[in-house]
This record gives sequence, structure tokens and C-alpha cells, in this order.
Amino acid sequence: MQNTLRTSHIIADRTSTVSRLEEVVSTSDEFDQVVAQALPLLLDRAAGYTKRFLRETGQWNDDIEHEKFALRWGAEYLERFLVCGRTEVPCRPLFLFDSLVAKQHSKPEPFCYHPDLLKPLGRFLDGLVARAVVSRDALIALYHHSYGWGAGDVIAVTGLNGLESQRIYKNFRRWRESGWQRTIDEMGLTKTELAELENQRQRHRQRFNTEAERLIRVAQGHYRKSEPDHYPCLSRSQWGEMFSQGYGCDYRIWHLALCLDCMQAAWGLGSSESSVEKPRLELQVRP
Amino acid sequence: MVQEEDLELYRSQLLDSMSERPSRSVRGPSDPIQVYVNERRVGELKGAEIEATLHVHGVDHVETVQLRTEDGQLLGGLVAPESGFRTTRVQLSADTVELCVQNTVQGGSLSAVFIPAPSFWNRAWTILANVADRWMVRRPESTMAYGVRAVVFTQALLAVAVVGLAADRVMIWIAPEHTVTSTVRTEALRTASVAEIGQLSKQLGELRAMQTKVGEALQSQEKGMTLLHQTMARLSSTQESVASSVVMVKEEMEKRQEGSESEIDRSVQIPVGRGGVDQEQFETAIHGLAADNDRLSKQIAGLEEHNRTVTAKLQMAIAHVAKAVEQSPERVVAREIDMARKHQRSPVADNRQGTQAQPFLFWVTFSEGTTQESIDQWVNEMKGHKGAINEGWQEVQILPPPVPPDLFLEQIKGEKIIKEARLNH
Repeated sequence: MQNTLRTSHIIADRTSTVSRLEEVVSTSDEFDQVVAQALPLLLDRAAGYTKRFLRETGQWNDDIEHEKFALRWGAEYLERFLVCGRTEVPCRPLFLFDSLVAKQHSKPEPFCYHPDLLKPLGRFLDGLVARAVVSRDALIALYHHSYGWGAGDVIAVTGLNGLESQRIYKNFRRWRESGWQRTIDEMGLTKTELAELENQRQRHRQRFNTEAERLIRVAQGHYRKSEPDHYPCLSRSQWGEMFSQGYGCDYRIWHLALCLDCMQAAWGLGSSESSVEKPRLELQVRP
Repeated sequence: MVQEEDLELYRSQLLDSMSERPSRSVRGPSDPIQVYVNERRVGELKGAEIEATLHVHGVDHVETVQLRTEDGQLLGGLVAPESGFRTTRVQLSADTVELCVQNTVQGGSLSAVFIPAPSFWNRAWTILANVADRWMVRRPESTMAYGVRAVVFTQALLAVAVVGLAADRVMIWIAPEHTVTSTVRTEALRTASVAEIGQLSKQLGELRAMQTKVGEALQSQEKGMTLLHQTMARLSSTQESVASSVVMVKEEMEKRQEGSESEIDRSVQIPVGRGGVDQEQFETAIHGLAADNDRLSKQIAGLEEHNRTVTAKLQMAIAHVAKAVEQSPERVVAREIDMARKHQRSPVADNRQGTQAQPFLFWVTFSEGTTQESIDQWVNEMKGHKGAINEGWQEVQILPPPVPPDLFLEQIKGEKIIKEARLNH
């Protein structure tokens, strides 16, 4: 009886929230206020749309990994809606939100989907590389997580100057302080899963890194499309010219972090002190 | 069951992070702001207390613009219209980023301007200037002579200088960071302050003397104006007397015509005599008038000269006041910041080179008969590198040009061996 009452109360709440979201909001403040009260509803709605998209494209399975995937992308859409929606006033927030999600899903590859990327190792790599696209801290940290390098190594490998070097140290510091934990939270990785990853890394190092390399290539291949169009893969001689002439600082940082092959091609160009052996993927779980 | 709990926990975690979103950013005051167009990173705005600009042009339409911190936090953004303009201001604590997006048939463009929060001295100066302006505007124009207004303005400037100086001293004495950071530096500041105060006092003394001189000059100008008014009054009275003489002559002429012939014959001699007298009086009046006119012209010329001198003195006084105000260290720093800001704002290309030193790619076709040597020589002159060749188009990669891409392409189109040039193949 109590359960029935509670359920009917929840349904009534949701109905009133939906009807409020369907009304026109005129100012940004009003938008913030209305949307802030409807976050759970909007998150579920976005996750629901993502589920439907995955079902319709034959990529859905009824398991927790897929549920988490749908939630993660629902949260991503909701974050963009919260920021960009307030510039669209006057509007009806619910319709605007639906159109935003529909627009995302009408793109050729709205998100990086691969069944293996839904497992803990895949989720870790996918989350890391996805974050690197929108966060410079995560991008720089990707050098550490992929090869185990510190700030000094990154500076040497990418051949950066003094001013840029300062930023690299800052990026590392922020990543250690808050960035890594936030990214792990956003991935939905539990402490148990993290511990298991650490365990695998220590026990079956080679197998772990081989699997990680296979998966990171999938993720990098997808997310590298988010780079500027004019950052394509280059040959060693072209990288050599760029390093020797000292231009393309951003190019080097962004592309080399997101491309294992180019990292190997450009190896040793940044600093003469680098070791002769080309870098191999040595996945680090902790920052 | 465990999985459901795990999922519910994950959902709550996401909602929590969404709710506390604005407070999560760890952007420092000097950290750059990453700019994304259509979810692709296109550059960054250096947010280090100076104005910075980023312009992006592309053949693709701009759909979304996002501003992010270095840690990936979404700070703001906008959804662009399919065609036309949209602008928005994104408030980042005290700083602001102005976004302006335009979509046309040719493609889309974005202009992002980082406007730092105004410093304390900028705000104080603006408030004082506004107060002074309002005070000046409230005074009716007719009741306040130019000279009096100038004196009031000078006094206001003087007052502002004194207030600025006093506030400057107070700030230096009470600012905790100065005492905390380095005692040596504080001592140096105090030593410098004494010398500076002496210098400023001297300047203020000079300024006061200058103000007195300006006051005297203005008084003498007022006297001149009074004299001018008197002369004008005399002139107008002379003109009236001349006019009345003319009327009298006319009346006499009419009377003479109306009189009998005999009387006319008899009386002709009298009016003629009177006419002669009147004519003499008339000529005398005209001579007097001409003399008055000459004198008046000379006086006006003298007054104009005097006026110029007074204006020059006033300008000098204002310059001295401004100089005295700018002598304070904060003003010097503010001026340097302004200079830096101007430097930062001027060329878009500089910003691009600074923020994203990336190669500039474009495609060209060469005129018929152009040899490979000429092409190589041209590419070398451009300090560039040849890239792929596709359907007769040669890809060329150079360091970013100092002018906007469109202008650059127009420039190279003018070269003899270039047939056509464009950004994308």
C-alpha cells in the first residue's frame, strides 16, 4: 500500500516536472532554475534515448556495462545542455533537450562504441582518451598512463620550450590532485575494478599491455577525429622538420598523445638524450 | 541486486557532479581557456589579466562553441544559428568571454574575446571620471562662463590627483602582501615613496602657481570682454545717431518740397545750409564709426591672441595634472598593462602564432609553363614545404602568415606563377 502511494507520488512529481519543462522559459536564470530541478529526469531521458539508439543500431545488450555506457553519454549530453541551453532562451527546455540529443545521435559516430570498451580495461582507456579530447590535463596525463613518463620526459619527447614546460608541470599536478579521480568517477569504475586492473597489470604485464594497446588504438582512432583537421599523421621526416624548426607545438602535444604510431615515428626527435629503444605501451592505472 | 546498486550509485554520482558543476572548476587566473568549435579544439584564449582574441574561420558551419578549462570543465558555450549572427557573453567569475558566431553560405566564423576583470585603479578612475562628468553636466551652460568651468575642471583634476595620491599611499601602507612578501621590498617602496612625495609636492606647487596664473589670465580676459561690450554699446549708439540724422535729412527734404515756390526760392539757401551742416555731421559720424571699427578690430585681435595664450596655459596645466596623477606606481603599471593590452589586441595573426603555432596549409595551382624549378624556388621563398598533389592542386605548408588567410591567399594569387590558390582542395 505504502509502495503504491510512493510510486503514485513519484509519478505525479515527474508529470509536474515534465509539464514545467514543456513551458516557455524567458531568461537564462529561469532556465537554470527549471533545469536544476529536473536533472534526474533529464539524465534518465538522455540515457533512455541513448539506449534506444544502441538498440536500433544493434549494439545493445541487457547488462550493467551497457546501462553505464548509456548513463555516461546521457550525462555528457546533459552537461552540454546545461551550458549551451541557457543561450537559447526563450525556449521550451524539454524540446530543446530532445533536439540536442537527437542532433548528437544523427551524427555518423556519436560515440566510441566497441563491446570490449565496455569492460573495465576498455572503460578505463575509453574514458581516459575521451577526457583527453576535452582536457589538456588529461591529454598530458595520457603520456604518463600510456608510457609511464613524467613531466620531464614529456617535455623532452615533445621538444617543448620553457614556457610550455611550465604548463606541463601544472597539467601533471592538476591531474594528480583532482583530474584523475574525476575521470574515474565519470567512467563509473569502482574501487574493486581499479584494484583488479592493478592486479592484472602486475601479474600478467605483457598480456595486459598487449590487450591495452589493442583497445587504446580503437579509442585513439575514434577520438583523434576531434583534433583539428590539419593535424594528420606525418612521416618521420615531416616530424623531423617540425621539431628542428620549432613550430607546431600544439600539433606535437595533441597528436603524439593520441597516436601510438606517430609517437614511434617521431621518437628521438625531441631530445637527443632519449633512449634508442622505441616506446611501447606500458599502461599505468594510477596517476 | 549488487549490479543495480552499483548502477544507482553511478547515477547518483553523475547527478551530484552535475549539480556541483560550477564550483568544480580549478581554473587559475592565468590559465588559458580552451576553445572548441563543433567539439573540436581550435585554439585557446590566454586568460592572464590581459585582453585576448581568437578568430576562427572555416568552410564548415559552426554548430556549437564550447569554452573549457585545462581540466576539461565546460565553462560556457553557445549553439550557433544555421545562418546569421549570434553573440553571447560568458561570465567566468569576474572575467568575461564574448563569443560571436556567424554562419554564411561560405562557411562559419567565430570570434572569441577574453575581457579580464578591470583592476582596482581602473574602476576607481572610471568612477571618479563619471562623477566629475555628471557634476559638470548638471551645471546649466548659460549660468557658467567658460572660464569658470575651466577653473572648476582644473580644480576637480587637482582634487582627483590629491585623492589618488592619498589613496595610493594608504594602499601601499596597508597592503598586507607588501609586508608579507618581502621586507626589503617594503623598505625600498617606502624610500621611493618619500622621494616621490617630494617630487609630487613640488609638482603640485607648480600646478597651484599655474592655476593662479590661469585664474589671472581668465580675469583679464573677462575685463577685455567687458571693454568689448562697452565698445559695442558705443558703436551701436553712434549708429543710432547716424540713422536718426539720415531720417532728419529726409524729413527736411520732404518739407522743402511741400513749401511754396517763393518760399522755396527763399528758403533753398537755408536747407542747403542745413544740409551742408548735416552732411558734415554725417561725415564726422562716419569717420568716428570707422575709427571705432578699427579700434574694435584691434581689440578683438588682441583678445583672440590673449585667448590663445590662455588656452595654451590651460592645456599645459591639464597636462601637468595628468602627469602628476600618472606619476604614481599603479598608474605606471596600469599604463603598461594598457600598452600590453593594445599589443595583445592588435594583430589576430600574432595571437594565433602565440597560441597555436601550427602550420598553415593551403592549395595552389600554377600557371601553365611554370617549371618545377620555379615552383621549388617559390616554395623555398615562402619557407614552406610541398605536400600532396591532387588533381593538379599542390598542397603547400608554411608557417602561419602574419595576415588573415583570405588576405594571404589574395596576396599570393597576385604572384606570376600562381594560377589559383585556396584553403581546401
